[in-house]
Amino acid sequence: MAGIHLEGIEKSFGRVKALKGVSLEVAEGELVVLLGPSGCGKTTLLRIVAGLEWPDKGRVFLGKREVTFLPPRSRGLAMVFQNYAVFPHLTVFENIAFGLRMRRLPETVIREKVRWAAELLRIEELLSRYPAQLSGGQRQRVAVARALAVEPQVLLMDEPLSNLDAILRLDLRAELKSLVKALGMTTLYVTHDQVEAMGLADRIAVMREGEIVQFAPPLDVYRRPAHTFVAGFVGHPPMNLLRVSPEDARVHLALDLPVSKEVIVGIRPEDLEPAPKGDPGAFSARVRVVEPLGSHQLVTLEALGTTLKAIWPPEPSLDPGEEVWARVHAERMRLFDPATGRAL
Amino acid sequence: MRLSRFLNYLLAFLFALWVVLPIYLLAVLALSERSAVFAYPKPLYPQPLSVETLWRFLEVPGVVKALGNSVLVAGLTMLLSLLLGAPAGYALARYRFRGADFFRILVIFTRAFPLAILAVPLAVHFIRMGLYDTPLGVALVHTALALPFAVLVTYSLFVSIPKELEEAAWTLGCTKTQAFFRVVLPLTLPGLAAVGIFAFIISWNEVFAATILTLRERTLTALLLNLLHDSPLPFRFAGGFFLVLPALLLIFLVRRRLLTLWGVASR
Repeated sequence: MAGIHLEGIEKSFGRVKALKGVSLEVAEGELVVLLGPSGCGKTTLLRIVAGLEWPDKGRVFLGKREVTFLPPRSRGLAMVFQNYAVFPHLTVFENIAFGLRMRRLPETVIREKVRWAAELLRIEELLSRYPAQLSGGQRQRVAVARALAVEPQVLLMDEPLSNLDAILRLDLRAELKSLVKALGMTTLYVTHDQVEAMGLADRIAVMREGEIVQFAPPLDVYRRPAHTFVAGFVGHPPMNLLRVSPEDARVHLALDLPVSKEVIVGIRPEDLEPAPKGDPGAFSARVRVVEPLGSHQLVTLEALGTTLKAIWPPEPSLDPGEEVWARVHAERMRLFDPATGRAL
Repeated sequence: MRLSRFLNYLLAFLFALWVVLPIYLLAVLALSERSAVFAYPKPLYPQPLSVETLWRFLEVPGVVKALGNSVLVAGLTMLLSLLLGAPAGYALARYRFRGADFFRILVIFTRAFPLAILAVPLAVHFIRMGLYDTPLGVALVHTALALPFAVLVTYSLFVSIPKELEEAAWTLGCTKTQAFFRVVLPLTLPGLAAVGIFAFIISWNEVFAATILTLRERTLTALLLNLLHDSPLPFRFAGGFFLVLPALLLIFLVRRRLLTLWGVASR
């Protein structure tokens, strides 16, 4: 097992700067998720760690070893791809054995390790089948088993679940997490799905336009987004962002701003609580849309000159057009600089 | 609905007849006694079955040698087309390089110059280089004819193999060469075989270059072209039969493999 250490990675494709000096530290046995919208450079970064691309600048270390320009085969890692990339002309057994055969291990050892990996992924009974006879979920299990069988120093996963249907994805996600944690595998995992990132990661690196905007544990990313981009990208529905002047903040939100200019206030929908009418620190709002979702209701409010989303208990039920009161605890608010988008 | 189905089958049947009938007649008369050629009406099946016609054909001086030359030239063409065409197809499929699109068009352009125009300068050059009247010389020209096809078809074969399969192989310990031979080649083998066989058939059927560029080392087509006018009917039938046979057999052989490529079905 080894950690990953990235130092000032830059990469351009033609005129497009895909990565603008990214540094990242993944501790031994840690599961780090690279999260971001498509085109943010997360997959490029993963491929540079894998050795499938070479950086224009910067250095890649696995453990103490610099591997920046080593070919993938000499890095001691394994990778799981979005489209599974299981070899269609080989049986499941031979797929899992592929990396072991490349190391010329004796047949008995190969059998033992294939069986071990197959048991971990619960695909023992599929060993003699060909990939064409498997479902998508089973193929991805084969791909993960194939990666684990070589006992890599580092496991790389490129959106491994996004080709699966929703229920399967949930199952496999939980299973992957427990597996990777049980093995203590250093893992770098790429996804654009923030729920997946929240669920899996020890730490999330949120990326935008070739840069890491925030690198923190999931709940920190959720509660204390470092940038309006993170606030808007993580969470479903995303954080409410409203521009307020110091005066508005004091009057409507019972909030004393640390600066004497306009700021952006970020409020999570579940932190926007219903309040009794006229409660000090509360503000009035008009209900626009009510979406009852069973465990809670998603309410779209119009207040403070903008639209806000609130997650409220299912009772009492609300009607569009109704006037309600809401408030937010000051410590639950997040302040951002309107000019840079960074947290204050 | 039923009627259109019936018409489809009828049409397909007529097309098949159009192709099969002449070949069938050729085969029947080649496999009959020599006298059957002159019989009227023609027999619908060889009666009695006889290899006399074929045997006499092979006894004509030069025929066996020409047959051997044809096999040699076609074999060389197959080999060269694959050895030169497949790497070019692979490069087009896997690498973005300056002028890739232009190169693809250029490949097709090689077919834009009629062989008739190239023949004389080619013959002159071949004489200088000592390639004239050799199977290798003919095979080189045939390779030039087969290459555009080989490059473009192998290109589409390689493009259809996801790059991730190779990348997965690299991360699992393969060099690029190993990944090609362990992953890409097995998956494209049926297609590559088809390309090779097609090159073989292009060469086997080619007559113009073979005639211009050979004198004593004739291929079968070149020899037949020379002899056809002055030879008896049974000879012509036997000759025709030999020309058609390999194409038929080979296509029949790869037909199943072409359709049941495991890779294509399982992605």
